[in-house]
Amino acid sequence: SFVQGSKLEIPLWLAKGLHDSKRRIISVELPKIYKEAWRTVFSADASVVDLHKMGPYYYGFGSQLLNFDNPENPEIAQTILQTFISRFRRIMDSSQNAYNEDTSALVARMDELERALFRAGQKGLNDFQCWEKGQASQITVSSLVQNYGKRKFTDMDD
Amino acid sequence: GDLGPFNPGLPVEVPVWLAINLKQRQKCRLIPPEWMDVEKLEEIRDRERKEDTFTPMPSPYYMELTKLLLNYASDNIPKADEIRTLVKDTWDTRIAKLRLSADSFVRQQEVHAKLDNLTLMEINTTGTFLTQALDHMYKLRANLQPGESAHSQDF
Repeated sequence: SFVQGSKLEIPLWLAKGLHDSKRRIISVELPKIYKEAWRTVFSADASVVDLHKMGPYYYGFGSQLLNFDNPENPEIAQTILQTFISRFRRIMDSSQNAYNEDTSALVARMDELERALFRAGQKGLNDFQCWEKGQASQITVSSLVQNYGKRKFTDMDD
Repeated sequence: GDLGPFNPGLPVEVPVWLAINLKQRQKCRLIPPEWMDVEKLEEIRDRERKEDTFTPMPSPYYMELTKLLLNYASDNIPKADEIRTLVKDTWDTRIAKLRLSADSFVRQQEVHAKLDNLTLMEINTTGTFLTQALDHMYKLRANLQPGESAHSQDF
């Protein structure tokens, strides 16, 4: 049993389950990156923020937070959207190797959603380069098949 | 379909795959398309660099044809190296333009974009990234609408 007014850390799914805007069983405190102080930082220049350290599911978690009746929800939703918009260009350009710069530092600061996007961009580029080199028409052994029947010669002696 | 007749010394139109095949077997000489010419390609490249919109390309398969012909029949193509460079430069400009369009589209949160004169090759290279990104943006925009259903999506 819990004392009314106590503060606990619980998983998001549990908080969602307990939440009921009419019965007011729980109220949720925002993690600091969704609060006003950090929101101001984001609106100044979102591209410098290390979203991996802050998240790593900044967008996903932030979107889920909006389930709880918080008066700041409209601002939070707006900040999350604007953050995505302002970081979009960098993710796109770096994943498509537009500036040929070292991307590892950049990726380190991306949250998981951005990293998935980055990988999609890279794949597009890799597929193109593969085609350009003429590798697209080479038949290669499927990785599924590659290890069939491979046994060491010594194993065959019985 | 039917092809031919094949008369020695007379040019005949055949599908690309056959042309390449015959060329590889040293049975013919390939005639490059009329646009595969340094002056024409310079014009196209310059126009691409100057304009904000995409230049209609002389072939929807300009990249594929250039690659095939330069790989298998460069001896039949005058100034092949220059042509290769010109096509690559035009491609680079078009892709850069595509990224610029995408960024502008995202920033203005537009719902609709019309990009004329893109070829499949360009669309495929950037397509996966763009559709995923726009998908995410759509969901984040849905967050702005009040109402339970908007927030219950999984990421």
